[in-house]
Amino acid sequence: MASVARWETTLGREGERELVEAARRGDRDAAETLLESHELLVFRTCGRLLPPGEDVEAAVQETLLRALRNLGRFTGQGTFAGWLAAIAVNLCRDRLRRRRLVPFLSLEGREKGEVEPLSAIPSSEPNPERVAMARQAVNRLHGEVSRLPRRQQEVFALRFFAELDLGDIATALGVDVGTVKTHLHRAVQRVRVAVEEARP
Amino acid sequence: MSNPHLNDDELNLAVLGEDLPPGVAGHLAVCLDCRRRRDAFLDLVQEARGADPDAAARARVRERALAAWEAPDRRHWVRWLAAAAAVIVLSLLPLLRGRAPAPPVINADAVLVEVEKVLDRDPLSAVAAEEIVDTVVPVSYESGERSVS
Repeated sequence: MASVARWETTLGREGERELVEAARRGDRDAAETLLESHELLVFRTCGRLLPPGEDVEAAVQETLLRALRNLGRFTGQGTFAGWLAAIAVNLCRDRLRRRRLVPFLSLEGREKGEVEPLSAIPSSEPNPERVAMARQAVNRLHGEVSRLPRRQQEVFALRFFAELDLGDIATALGVDVGTVKTHLHRAVQRVRVAVEEARP
Repeated sequence: MSNPHLNDDELNLAVLGEDLPPGVAGHLAVCLDCRRRRDAFLDLVQEARGADPDAAARARVRERALAAWEAPDRRHWVRWLAAAAAVIVLSLLPLLRGRAPAPPVINADAVLVEVEKVLDRDPLSAVAAEEIVDTVVPVSYESGERSVS
């Protein structure tokens, strides 16, 4: 792997705008196509920004519903992905605020490997030692990301997990691209160095 | 190899896929160690992303969102109903106040006349019953027995 993948749909900007217009008029098929081509982005964003124990599916559903109900507010200046990611980020922030008021599960849970879903690493691999090391490395990365300042966490998750480009991240967070770059560089530096230092 | 290995800033740029200065890019193209460091981090990030939800989960969530979108938004109705109820209550408030029983009007003179009449009939009626008993028929308790002295 030589670079981070970039979130893209097959719709194109023009096709996207047409679908938004049609969905705004109540066209269910258009709305469905729009959701189908972007829902993974929302799953990845909510899945990484919400702490363990939060219902990711419910958060994704709420994000998609908010998007559909507010299609009239999508100006088309940025991409639909960036606009949708903004809704997802705001929803996650709301839930985190509520979570802080009523603490339920610690954010450090992932770091300690208590509840981290590591479905990406099959446990039936032939080399258990290697699998254990890979799990440790992933947990270490999650731990480092969870210790980043909130804005850096968001930028990191949107870039590496949701695979948004810098422009869409800027749209999603309501900041300029330069600010995104600054946060991203700081986040990568901190996480990468920590992960490398922990490597045997 | 003439160029030194990538420093932290250059490695971060490489991780982020940003443009590298020509000398640095040239070094990265031929240096296995630097490429390994970059790729190791990117692979780890990829692994940490975890598995995407399966098609069934995606479809389920999408359908629920679409169904909720198509259903009439009850929140508007609730707001309208609450507003209407508030308007009705506020508009009926003066009427409700008008129908409330009026506070009794006390005629002090009539009360005084009535008191005078009662006292004329029975002077002791102005004294509490217990006081009458204590004064006229004193009661004492001695040795646990009630006796009249």
